[in-house]
Amino acid sequence: MSRQISHGDAPLSAGRAAAVWDLPVRLVHWTLAGLIAFSWWSVHNHHTDWHIWSGCAILTLLIFRLLWGFLGSSTARFSSFVRGPAAVRDYLHGRWNGIGHTPLGALSVIALFGAVAVQVGLGLVSEDEDGLFTGPLSGLVSIDASDTARGIHEFWFENVIVPLIVLHVAAIIFYRLRGKHLTKPMITGRAIVDPATKPMRPAKWWVALICLAVSIGVVRWVVAGAPPFGHWTPPT
Amino acid sequence: MRTRNFVLVPLIGLLGACGGPQTSQGNNPQANISNESRAEDQAAASNLEARVSVGDAAKIMHARHEGMETIGKDFKALHREFDSPTPNLALVRTAAGQIAGLSRQASGWFPEGTGPEAGKTGAKPEIWKPENKADFAAKLAAFQRTAAAFNATTTRGDVGAMKTRYADLGGACKACHDKYRTEMHH
Repeated sequence: MSRQISHGDAPLSAGRAAAVWDLPVRLVHWTLAGLIAFSWWSVHNHHTDWHIWSGCAILTLLIFRLLWGFLGSSTARFSSFVRGPAAVRDYLHGRWNGIGHTPLGALSVIALFGAVAVQVGLGLVSEDEDGLFTGPLSGLVSIDASDTARGIHEFWFENVIVPLIVLHVAAIIFYRLRGKHLTKPMITGRAIVDPATKPMRPAKWWVALICLAVSIGVVRWVVAGAPPFGHWTPPT
Repeated sequence: MRTRNFVLVPLIGLLGACGGPQTSQGNNPQANISNESRAEDQAAASNLEARVSVGDAAKIMHARHEGMETIGKDFKALHREFDSPTPNLALVRTAAGQIAGLSRQASGWFPEGTGPEAGKTGAKPEIWKPENKADFAAKLAAFQRTAAAFNATTTRGDVGAMKTRYADLGGACKACHDKYRTEMHH
């Protein structure tokens, strides 16, 4: 890997502070991190009902982020960061300059969101070992399928989600040791950028509200058991 | 479960989900206790004190495992029916009767010497600690009582009442499992 880091608030760079992440991107990031931790804690502490609601909240975030990936600010859009292997190779050779997700970081973003989407999908059709708790869409599949889904749900967390989180945090530490702060921009939304780079084009705030309303609407339908295909009674 | 809704509120708010946690009303598991299940309370308490041979322990642990698995399958089938707007009442009655019957057998499932020292089991050794024996016996009795009460409601046609008793039974299962069963990975 090249020693050169092409952008960011490296202490010696002669850049200026500019917006790189909009508020919805940052809120989704930190809420998702918190809810993943809460989901893990709740299911291991006899609060499967909270675990289910946490999963439904994560589903809301995923749908919102998907919509925001088409309608959000320039750095939030998939079109700005989903690139081919050639771009990743260029980045690794120091031939990339811009703001937002780097071509390599984008792979991590896609892997994390994809893995969490699979996890939520499995959880929706799962049921617990005792039949005390069912996922909102478990009624759409057989009891055996729900039990299998729960098994994969557990496997997927331990063998895919956790390793991806470890890799994510390790990468942040790696960049930090090389003088590039990634955490602070994800909190403040701003970073020191090369003045030559194209600035972030922010999206309208009301577009975010529409995306949120749509994602809440879809999740409400899912939480009802996706009628008319199924019905679900929330845990008491 | 019902008393923890304070954390759910912000989550539900985030979702904008309606039809959140429902409170079952008129909970009184005592209402339908038969004399038979009172007798079972005694049986449950006394069985904990019994000691068994190694061979008997294996047999009892096998019966316990099979019994719990059947109860779990019945409970899952019931959950599907009660999630549905049109539950299959014949299926509900069969499952409720089977659970009630197995709950009575459960009196003989936990003699001393059938814990993890005797073989693979989800039963925690805490069950047989002197300070827990009364509590475990009470939880086992609550299981038998709520299983009998739920079974009794299924003979009538009131699905709302069935759901309430079913929730009581689930609460009894959970109360015991949370404290006395290990997290198992099959």
